[in-house]
Amino acid sequence: MNPKMTFYEKEVHRIKDICYSNQAQIKAIIQIRKYIDNNFDANLNLDLLSRECLISKYHLLRLFKKYYGQTPKQYLIDKRIAKSKEFLKAGMTATQTCLTVGFESPSSFSSLFKCKVGMTPSEFQKSNF
Amino acid sequence: MRVRIVAIPVLDQEQALKFYTEKLGFVKKFDIPLGGGARWLTVVAQEEQDGPEVSLEPAPNHFEPAKVFQKSLFDAGIPYTQFNVNNTQEEYDRLVQLGVEFSMKPTEMGTVKVAVFNDTCGNNIQIIEIL
Repeated sequence: MNPKMTFYEKEVHRIKDICYSNQAQIKAIIQIRKYIDNNFDANLNLDLLSRECLISKYHLLRLFKKYYGQTPKQYLIDKRIAKSKEFLKAGMTATQTCLTVGFESPSSFSSLFKCKVGMTPSEFQKSNF
Repeated sequence: MRVRIVAIPVLDQEQALKFYTEKLGFVKKFDIPLGGGARWLTVVAQEEQDGPEVSLEPAPNHFEPAKVFQKSLFDAGIPYTQFNVNNTQEEYDRLVQLGVEFSMKPTEMGTVKVAVFNDTCGNNIQIIEIL
């Protein structure tokens, strides 16, 4: 280890050695996150994701939570909500946005959006004009 | 309750404003005089101007323990806070070109890639890319 490293950098390397030594596992989980990012509008589920990275679905669930701090489903919902905000700001209607980001029911989307953002999709859209 | 502000103690507010806007690319949001040369000074991300504000507060100049705490973190290389970037290596290259000094080069740690730079106002700041 470089003796000129700061205390913080040494800590980063120490934690890396303890928690992030399994590169193959990390690579597979990063691949899954990227897959979700690129397919957030599709009907994603654990079976599909586990086939994508050749890891059993329960192991995948555990690993994703271990490395990203949330389940793939929670991550997907956050991704869809973030994308919804972009589409609503761009002028898309709430219903169009709901379907475009991969949610099926506009009323469930509206409730979920309000829960996550603090206002309904249409209120959010008005607040941005 | 909501999270709207992240406060960063700075040794010189004017210098901090220049660094955070001209080097990092933030945009000034509020600048309200508070007397005695102090200001309520906040900046926001260019692409998220309705997002959380970074308050550049002059605490170290008015409260000695704040200065001691800030210096201790700085000397240990510990970041006061962190900002998310899309690509740590690209941001590192861009900031180095602008003369920003890094105490930690881009380093992968599991599912993130981080680097740490000196904000010239008493703090280390970490940039982080989620891989």
